[in-house]
Formats: sequence, structure tokens, C-alpha cells
Amino acid sequence: MGICIQGSTLKEIVAERERLFAETGCAYGLKKLELVEKDPAKFMRFQMRLVASCINSRESAKLISANPMSMVQGELLFMLANAEGDVISASYGLAGHIQCMPFIIKNIAELDFEDNPGIEKGDIFSCNDPMYGPPHNADCYTWMPVFYEGELVSWTVGLNHIVDVGGIQPGGLGVVSPNIFTDGFTYPPTKTGANFKQHKWWELHWKRRTRTEMFNVLDDKMRAAGITSLHDRILEIIDEFGVDYYRQGMKEIIERERRILVERIKSQAVPGKYRYLQLSAVNYKGTLGKLWPNSNRNWLIHKTGELNIRPDGTLLTDLEGLTSEGEFHANAYEPAVRMLTSLGMWPMFAYTETINSSLLYMTDWNIPPGSMFNPQNPYAGTVMGLGVIAGYIFLFHNCLSQAFFSRGFLEETFPADGTAGGYGAAGTLEDGFQWAGGDMSLITCQSQAGNPFHDGFDSSVCSPNPASDIGETEVVEFLLPTQVHLGKKLIPDYCGHGKFRGGLGIGTLQMVNKPGRSLILNAFAATDSMGACAMGRNGGYPGANDIVVFVNDTNIREIIEKESDYPRDFVEIREWMEEGKLTAGDVQIYKGPTPSIPCRDGDLFAIAAGSKGGWGDALERKYELIENDIELDWITRETSKTVYGVIVNDEGKVDKDASDQLRKEMFEKRLERSMDAKDWWKQERDKVLEKGWHEDVKNMYADCLKYNKFKNEFFGMWQLPDDYRIPGYKEE
Amino acid sequence: MKNNGDGFNKDNFKRLVDGELPWEEVKKVIRMDPKDANRFEKYIEILQEKVTWDDRILLRISDHLYIVLKDDDNRIVKCDCGYELGDYRVNWKLNCRVYVRDTDEAIAEVITVPEARHNTELVEMREFYCPGCLALLGVEVVPQGYPPIFEMFPDLDSFYREWLNDPLPDENPEWFEDKTIEQTAKWAKEV
Repeated sequence: MGICIQGSTLKEIVAERERLFAETGCAYGLKKLELVEKDPAKFMRFQMRLVASCINSRESAKLISANPMSMVQGELLFMLANAEGDVISASYGLAGHIQCMPFIIKNIAELDFEDNPGIEKGDIFSCNDPMYGPPHNADCYTWMPVFYEGELVSWTVGLNHIVDVGGIQPGGLGVVSPNIFTDGFTYPPTKTGANFKQHKWWELHWKRRTRTEMFNVLDDKMRAAGITSLHDRILEIIDEFGVDYYRQGMKEIIERERRILVERIKSQAVPGKYRYLQLSAVNYKGTLGKLWPNSNRNWLIHKTGELNIRPDGTLLTDLEGLTSEGEFHANAYEPAVRMLTSLGMWPMFAYTETINSSLLYMTDWNIPPGSMFNPQNPYAGTVMGLGVIAGYIFLFHNCLSQAFFSRGFLEETFPADGTAGGYGAAGTLEDGFQWAGGDMSLITCQSQAGNPFHDGFDSSVCSPNPASDIGETEVVEFLLPTQVHLGKKLIPDYCGHGKFRGGLGIGTLQMVNKPGRSLILNAFAATDSMGACAMGRNGGYPGANDIVVFVNDTNIREIIEKESDYPRDFVEIREWMEEGKLTAGDVQIYKGPTPSIPCRDGDLFAIAAGSKGGWGDALERKYELIENDIELDWITRETSKTVYGVIVNDEGKVDKDASDQLRKEMFEKRLERSMDAKDWWKQERDKVLEKGWHEDVKNMYADCLKYNKFKNEFFGMWQLPDDYRIPGYKEE
Repeated sequence: MKNNGDGFNKDNFKRLVDGELPWEEVKKVIRMDPKDANRFEKYIEILQEKVTWDDRILLRISDHLYIVLKDDDNRIVKCDCGYELGDYRVNWKLNCRVYVRDTDEAIAEVITVPEARHNTELVEMREFYCPGCLALLGVEVVPQGYPPIFEMFPDLDSFYREWLNDPLPDENPEWFEDKTIEQTAKWAKEV
């Protein structure tokens, strides 16, 4: 006798859901939406009650958390799933996690949790192990069954991104971890509470296995409180509408919204194949030494993708050619891929009355076994697979923008590039107090890319995170006591240029203040010195690289005491040093992840990200837009001349005749220094035959050529002999 | 804004296409529910009026490039300047002029913040120009030796038949077969 409807088991109802969809193409086999059609107003009221309950739980519960990412940056979510695991409704917040919950429920069904440990009223379950559904171990899920008259009808779910996961690096976004054992505290699905309370032993795990016990215990209490209150609200709603209506209504929400998404694609896009590429790197060489010999190397990560918009309005994303799994931190599983990339789908086409699992019913993925997002090694490190997946959010932004542009829906285009910066910190203050934390503020508050009709707005959006707000600096400083902000600002010229340029990137500069006995920072810059995207849009340049700068042994305290101003970002650090005003023992510039950097009082730490790409040919940019850029100090006169071919006089006005002439010369220069594609192809083919590339490039090709799709493209493009071969890592 | 039947009028649409529609007006278009069902037809009409040649536009694929029906039985890529870049099933980049920025100095011309430049040991920046008007049509930042990316390959027959209910006269399954490699195979014979 199972716990679900009419004695069915959890495993049976999950399998039935899949069978019905496979056989009918409709969620739950629903050809007709009876409740929607019979009384749409009542149905809307029902749906909004579910949404309001989730939001209510989120807003009440988050006040328990002490974690700045939850409190001020929106890194949390409360959801309602039906018994089968489909998320029906959610609060605002980390919306992508809706994609993971069906996988988690399917996994506990297949693990026979119903028999052992059992699923009963008031039980609390927890999981952050990516093999079972969560995207990485910083995202902790807590959920609870909802029973009505003895039958399982729903799950209430709470999720948030915790500050520290107890890995080999501080924070929740580690960029060094060869395997799951170095990822930190990772727990598979576990029954962690009963009678609506977490067990005491569970709290001890947070205290002993992570650095930020206070934050993490409070976050756990937050999730448990939120799902308990949501549980009670849901029972009220069932009492009001009746349990039959409740069960059927949840299914109709999914099917109705699946139809809306398919119809939106068919009415706004163009079927076909759309390509995407972003590159990034994992640079472990020299960092891990003899302890992890298989990880003592670099990887150039090949993030290739092809979006197939199919004639039936559904989407297939093909990742064949993606870099293979490795002994690094950046592996991931399908739920993580679906979770994070959905953040590119919601804004592009998947917005509906509520956010829910309907996307799962119209999106397919090909993720080859053995690739980094389908690892066959069960102990693959996954602590920051999301950092690589994040690039694929923009596959949807860019490919669908292209499709909407071609169809004439220019206003729906929303291209974007994958940029981000962040850091983790851990230290011991003078009085012996040990602390740790992290700051993801440069993942939020990003600018838009240029689109077909206007420049990207500055600091206006955040694709990977729902809260575009960068968070309150004061809160960050309170929780990261050694980090004093000297600046947080937009940086002139720091964008991808074009007829419509991308919005400017944002940078912060922090001074290390009284770190006490020790302070270690480790930061990342997501573009890894290969640009924000491998493809510009319509002749626009992709966004420029994210940057991390450490400056040690400075005279900044003297400057602050004596001067009326001080540097505020990495550009100003350079300028102040060139002028001799800022002195430093050492300056380290990183365009990717940094190692763990010990810091001392008065050191400077700058990080910048969010430079977005342009749209169209920069030499077609209108003069009045340049004048505006100059007036607002977004673009310097030098850049307006070298990139845009525009001369601006001392009054800030464009010298039209001189600019016309300069642009004419720049077009002529294009002709002079370019070559016919056929000649270029011959030249490039010779280089391909010579294989004289950097070893990281060579290793990337050797790996990706294991996958037929990329091999056919590579061999076909360069017309290579059958016996052409690139030796792989350590094969030479 | 509810669609009153006329939806988004042609004059405003032209201004949007030209990048001249004020943002406040664009927001109204974004909020249209439902969107105008004849948007594509209006788009083609506007684009056809803008170009100086008469070939029928089947699809706009970039600021400057169009797939057009040529001589009733051929589908080619054509620049608004009139230059023809060949069969649309072949990546149009292979019919452009190409300039590669593979040094710091060359990259510095377009990324003026020094710290934000690419690592030229790993990637190069390629620019693809129209041989006719020298407009910059595409930019790639890729490792040396990377096959030029065929950014968009539309399934035109399915689009016109199934989504627009207006099948093209020359329908043929071969129109959705990538022919890029056939062009490089021809070039290889000359090597």
C-alpha cells in the first residue's frame, strides 16, 4: 500500500507521469483543460493563492536567515510541488531551481524512500548532492510532504545558497576541487527531521563540517520554517477548493503553460539551428602539485552548443562537443544544466502566470555521457559546475534574440554575455574569532548587451540571479569585517562596442582592514581572458574580460589620511600608480580564478565584471550617441576615435567632417588589411595541419575531437586527411 | 497594451527597425498582448522597401544580411549593399573578407581597457567584412584553428509551411542541409 492516491506508490505515480507524457505529448495526458475552461476566474484565483502562499513563506522565513545572499541578494526560493515532483508554483527568488525538484523526487522514489526511511506527515528531508538533483552543494534543499486525508498530495520546498560549504577553499563558489571529497559538505537525500522539526544531530553537521556555522544553522532553520508555514497554507487551500480540484488544478497549470510556451516560440521565432560558443578555462597547473597528479594541468573549456528550434515549437539543445569530465571542480549533472540555463529561458519566452515545471515538457537536451555535464565518475567534483553552465544561460539569450530579430520581434531581443566575478574569504581576527564568507555582488547588477535598437542599459539586470540589486554594501561589510569598500562604480570604455554598445561593466575596490591573524581571499573572473562570448552579434564586439587585481604593500592608508580622494577601481589603481601616487610591493592581475591569496592590512583588492557586448558595426554608431557617451564619461575621447572613428572637440561635440573622413579611412583600412576568405582558409588550414598551437588549445581539440559532431565539423571545415590526429594530454 | 487588431503600426515599426523608436514606445510594444499576428509580413514589407534591389526577401539574418529568393529557384545570402554571398546553406563567413586580430596591439584597437584584453596565446579575434561595402558583419573570439561558426541556419520550408501557412514555391528537403563542407571541399582541390 503506497502513500499516494488510492494506495499508489511514489514510484508508480512518477512513472505514470512520464508514461502519459511520452504517449500523448501532453503533461499528464491532458488533452482538455476542464477546470480552466469551466471557470477561468476560479482557476486564476486558485493559481494565485498558490503563488501568494509561496511568496508569503519566503518573505517570512528569510528574516530568520543571517546570510546576506538570502537577505539582500535574493538567493533563495520556496516552491510547491505536486506529489509527482512537478513544481506548480514558486515564490520569486532563485527561479531556476524549479527545474531540479522533479529530479529530486524521482530519485527518492527510485531509492524507495517510501519504504525506508519512510515518508510521513511532518518529516523533513534535505539534500545538496548534485548527483540527486541539486545543482551544487552550496544550494541546499529542504522539503516536506503534504498529506491530505492520509494521501500524499504535495511537497513544500525551501532552498537557498549558503555562504560556506566546507570545501578546501572558503565560500560556496570554490574554484579548486579535484573531486567530491574536496567539494565540501555534500549530503545525498536524507531524512533530517520529524514532527515538523529538524533533528538536533543535523545542526551538529553544519557546525562541524562548514566554516560558517551560524549562517548555515540559521539558513537551515529558515528553510524548515518556510516549508512548514507553506505546508499549513496549502492545507487551507485544499480545504477551500477541495482535494480533487487541487490535484487536477496542479496538473492543468503545467499543461496549460506548456502550451503557452510552445505557442510563444512558434509565433515569435524561426525554426532552425542556432550555434553558440563560449570558452573558459580551468587552470590547475602548478597549483595542486603532486597531491592530485591528474589535476595538475590546465583545461580550455569548450562550451559549444546548438539550439534546435523544432517545427513543433519545442527546443532541443545539443551539447555534443562539450569538454569531457575532469578531475576538477566544474563537472555537473543534467538537473544543474536545466536549472541554471532556465534563467536564460524565463526572460526570453518562458514567462507565464507562475514559474513552474512546464519548461521540462518542451525542452530536450543532448548531453553526451563522459562530457563534463554527464560525468561517469561518481566522485566527480561539482562544487562550481554552475560557473561553467552559466555560459549556457546566454545560449538562450543570444540564439533566441537572433530568432526573434529575424521574425521581426525586435523588442523581444535580449542578448547577453556570460560575465561574473566573486570571491570567498576566510580568516582569523586578532582576538582569535574565526570567520568565513563570500560575496557574489558582481554576479548581480549587470549591464545589458546592446540590441538591434538601443544600447544596453547599465547595471540593470541579472540573468544568473533574480535580484538585479547588488545588495547593500553595508551588509556585506558587516558580514565580511575585513573588506572596506573604497569604490563601486561603472568603468568607462569597459564594454563591447558596436552600433549599439553594451552596457558598462561594474567594478569594486576594497581595502583590507585589520585582518588580524590571517586572511585568505580567493576570487574568480568568469571570462578567463577569452572574452564574454566567442561570438559578437551582427558585427558588434563581445563583452570584454572580467578582472581581478590584488595590490600588496600599499601606501593606501597614507593616501586616505592625506589626500581628499583615492582610487576607486582597477583602472584608477593603474593611473594612480603611473602617476606615482600609489605605491605597491606587488600587483597581481588575474583574468580567471585566483589561487588562495594571503592578505595583509592595507592591501587592495579590485574586481570587475559585467562588460557586455555590442550589436552591429561600431562604425555605424550615430554621432549623437557618441556625444552622449562623452558627456556622461561612459566612453573616452580616445576610444571614440579608435573604435568608433569619431572625433570629438573640446566642447564635447562631434566634428562631423573630420569624423566622416576618419571613418572613410577606417573602411579603407579594412579593405587593405583583410583577405579573401578563401585565401584565409588556405592559410588557416596550413596552421591546422601544423598543429603549432598553445598546449591548452591542442588539448582542447584533442578532447573535443572524440565527439563525432565536432570531429565532422572540424575535419570537414579544414578538409583534413583521415589519419590527421591531435595528440591528447600527455600523449605526445 | 491590448492588441486592438492593428497592433503595432508600420511607422513605429520602421522607427524601431531604424533604432529610432523611443524606449517608452518600445515598452508599449513589449507589453502588447497578444502580439500582432502579421508582424513578419510587415517586417518583410519594411525591409523590402529599404533595400535597393528587388529579390524577394525570405528572411533577415543580420543587420545587413538577408536570405533572398534568386531567380525563382535559388536561395542566397545577400547584403543590403547588393553584394551576394552565395548559397544560404553555406556559412556566409566563407564568402567574406577576413581580418584576424591576433596580437595585443591589434586587439587594443577595439578593447581600449588594457586589463580587459584577451589572452592572444589562446584566442584570436576574427572580423568578417562584406566584400561589397566592408561593413563588419561578424566577430568571433576563438582559438586558432577553430572552424568559423555558422551562427544561424533556418529551416525555411518548415517556417513558411508550418508556421506561416504560406509554403514556398521551391520546397525541397535539401534546403535544410548544411553545404558548408562542400565549399571547403572545392577549395581543397585547389590546394
